[in-house]
Amino acid sequence: MPERWSDYVAILMSALAVGYLVYEIDRRRRKLHDIFDVLDADDAHITAGLEAMVASGELRPYAGATLA
Amino acid sequence: MARAPRGSGSARRPRARAAAPCETVRSGLSAAPARALDAPTSEASGPAVSPQPAGLRECAATTPRFRIFVIDSGWNSPAHKVLQENFGLIRELQKDDPIYVLSKEQSIEFIRHHQERIGREPIIAVHDLAAMDKSGTTDFHGFRLHLGLLRTPQQALLALQNFTRFLSTHRQSVDLEAEIRTDLRREGLAGAIEIVLHHEAREIGE
Repeated sequence: MPERWSDYVAILMSALAVGYLVYEIDRRRRKLHDIFDVLDADDAHITAGLEAMVASGELRPYAGATLA
Repeated sequence: MARAPRGSGSARRPRARAAAPCETVRSGLSAAPARALDAPTSEASGPAVSPQPAGLRECAATTPRFRIFVIDSGWNSPAHKVLQENFGLIRELQKDDPIYVLSKEQSIEFIRHHQERIGREPIIAVHDLAAMDKSGTTDFHGFRLHLGLLRTPQQALLALQNFTRFLSTHRQSVDLEAEIRTDLRREGLAGAIEIVLHHEAREIGE
């Protein structure tokens, strides 16, 4: 057990620092996944919708050089 | 985190439209029908961007690996402008894969059915034809970029450049999912190191 109050402060500050680090890393990880992520089963219905548009001829490969 | 498969995602692409890996096509399946369907002939014969051996380059030039979809309902955002201004270059760099651009009306209709994506457009979704041939859409089958989440033109441009580079350099990847997850882990680790070193916020992800 720490004997001085300053030890308690040091332990508390260290815990806060580690907690902040974990929080910040997790926040950035979630943000990155929001921006860029893989398509998996959760996105299957969206993929199916887009593929259906291609299969039906509703979507054709874009031949233009620029977006209108 | 494990995700439950959905019934609607179990459909596989017809085998005759197999696109990759390249060896599959070389060993017997003709790439011509896929090319005729997926992209104009003049586009499919364009030069490959990534530095590859001649054999792979030839294969890459004739066989699309990805289908790229651009969904943009037209928010007046920096990401929208950056995409408009740089689409021509992206088109040139990705000649080997067909790009499908949803019209504004199609995008709005699409987003209306997927309301959780509102405000994240422009969205670039890339379907990995090789993965879809293997397991349909019940597992990994591509990746996507929510460009609209990036708030400044610089962030959007950098993300677009990274995304295009990723597409070009991973066209021949055998295990694309593993490579993407490795890259994401690397980004996470890099972010952690930056936090420890008290650096400024990263260009992407802030």
